[in-house]
Amino acid sequence: MKEVAIVRPGAERMGFFTDTTTCIGCKACEVACKQWNDLPSDPDTYGRGGSYDYTGSLSAATWRHVRFIEPAAHDDIDLVAVAERPVNDFGDWVFMSDVCKHCTNAGCLDACPTGALIRSEFGTVVLQPDVCNGCGYCIPSCPFGVVDRDPNDGRAAKCTLCYDRLEDGLEPACAKACPTDSIQFGPYDELREVAARRVAALHERGVSGAYLYGAGDAPEDDLAGGLGAFFLLTEPPESYGLPAQADSPIQENVIPATLTAMGAGLLAAAGVAASFLWERRR
Amino acid sequence: MSVWRDTTPAVGNPGQPEFAERTGEKVDLHIGVWKDGRWSYLFGDDTSYGGAMPDIEAIRSAARAAREGPLPEAVSGPVMKAPVWTWEVPLYFWFGGIAAGSSFVALACDLAGDEESAAVARKVALGALAPSPVLLILDLGRPGRFVNMLRIFKPRSPMSMGAWALTAFGNLAAAAVGADLLGRRRAARAMGAANAVVGGYLGSYTGVLLASTAVPVWARSRLFLGPIFVSTATATGAAACRLALSAGGMPAGHPTRRALGRVELGAMTAELLLSVINERRLGPLAGGLGRGRPGKLFKAAKWSVRAGLALQVLGRRRAPDHVSSLLYLAAGLMFRYAWVTAGPPSARDDRAVAEMARSRRHGH
Repeated sequence: MKEVAIVRPGAERMGFFTDTTTCIGCKACEVACKQWNDLPSDPDTYGRGGSYDYTGSLSAATWRHVRFIEPAAHDDIDLVAVAERPVNDFGDWVFMSDVCKHCTNAGCLDACPTGALIRSEFGTVVLQPDVCNGCGYCIPSCPFGVVDRDPNDGRAAKCTLCYDRLEDGLEPACAKACPTDSIQFGPYDELREVAARRVAALHERGVSGAYLYGAGDAPEDDLAGGLGAFFLLTEPPESYGLPAQADSPIQENVIPATLTAMGAGLLAAAGVAASFLWERRR
Repeated sequence: MSVWRDTTPAVGNPGQPEFAERTGEKVDLHIGVWKDGRWSYLFGDDTSYGGAMPDIEAIRSAARAAREGPLPEAVSGPVMKAPVWTWEVPLYFWFGGIAAGSSFVALACDLAGDEESAAVARKVALGALAPSPVLLILDLGRPGRFVNMLRIFKPRSPMSMGAWALTAFGNLAAAAVGADLLGRRRAARAMGAANAVVGGYLGSYTGVLLASTAVPVWARSRLFLGPIFVSTATATGAAACRLALSAGGMPAGHPTRRALGRVELGAMTAELLLSVINERRLGPLAGGLGRGRPGKLFKAAKWSVRAGLALQVLGRRRAPDHVSSLLYLAAGLMFRYAWVTAGPPSARDDRAVAEMARSRRHGH
């Protein structure tokens, strides 16, 4: 499908591979992202009761978000039992550094009526803040809940995969800051191969639940045509707040919906005319 | 930003006279290669991080095992973001619907040879359209940039097509009314007919716009939202025209007024039937339409439609037809509010969103 896109010879598709098995939940990526992109803090989300994850979710001012999957029920946590546990028994905590998926079939890009959202020469989806007029249509069009409108600014905002850094040959700020290389950045095809080899290594070591979310799927199973930023997960997708299946809602729905709508429109106009002509004939 | 910073590239080295001079030239920052950024600095040489290149089928089946089957117990949210549209949008849907319905009426009046009523219907269409762009601009996060809506023509995006349809409809409606005032009947008729075609899109695209999102209650109604919105548009347009014509002194027995009554009856019956069928079909997903404020609005809208239909069918002699027209206009407004306000709670219902995603492959 034809898109509003920047083309540059020699530029290849770049992506993120986020390996949740090496994430320690330090949130350095969140901080690096905020610093590089000059993003304000999200004071509204601070102090969420019962959770150590103070950011809560991706938003217009949080383009990387480390999601904490805290399986212990927050209210009835048994502190004595926790204290008596062996020190290293924290196996049920999972962290996942969430980010814009830079979908191949991007719902936000399909929805944008102003052309503010474009496909960059690196195959990423970039929002041009000087064009966006804040119509808000991209927000419900993203099946992953990434893009959001900043109430103070009025425009939508999301991860650009550090488009400015990429143009100058630098890796994105979050990948640069990640101390365990849970976030890896690189050419898309190369990353997918690394990710597949990582899954194989984990399976060999007995982590049988490890799988890739958004890469390496058969064409009929893929998520939004394949995700430019994909993940290695060990729990069902819903534990991380991710949908199990997804595609651009517009590519899925707009043709059947328009056909029935236009059909109904023509039928209505014909019905009105018929009613008038019949009345006149009487 | 209060302080303006000059961030254009500067040239020269410290200690030289031309230091920090801004020539406007692009300074070459491009290092060309990804260096240590190329996939991993930690695991680049570590052979134990990844194993041997596996069988593609093993990778696929691992993902399939996690992503298929029934919805697991643990769903942590938010999965998707709720729409941020406020009261302006449903109100615009209502006004735009009246304008579209009136354009159908204008065309039908012309076909039936009632030129005076056609001119009134064209005025109603223009009058209903006039507040629409204002409402849409008010809803933008950056109202001053409304003109960016006409920056590109994007058939894929219902909002882009809607902006163009609104522009075309507004211009045609104004030109048609202008031609009427100048006494150019033929030009007015032609532009009115063209507007009925644009109106067919204007009255229905709002449903397509909502259906083409990831919000469960809208996306799952994708085949019904367009027809439901067209029915509302036709009924409210006919009701507005009938009220305008009655106010202009048209007697109750006039064929145009009778025909409009029949249009209202048919369109509202269709709307009620489609809504009820869609609600049954949605099942538990209809939660957003059944609970809270949208649920109450939806119920009130359906009852006022039923009251209007009963008045029209049973009480034809006793009650004047204005009452049913007013009831239909109110019902249309409530339907619009109910549909738009049902979106955010549905998007925030993490289980519903996750459930829809799981069952996506089995079709709608």
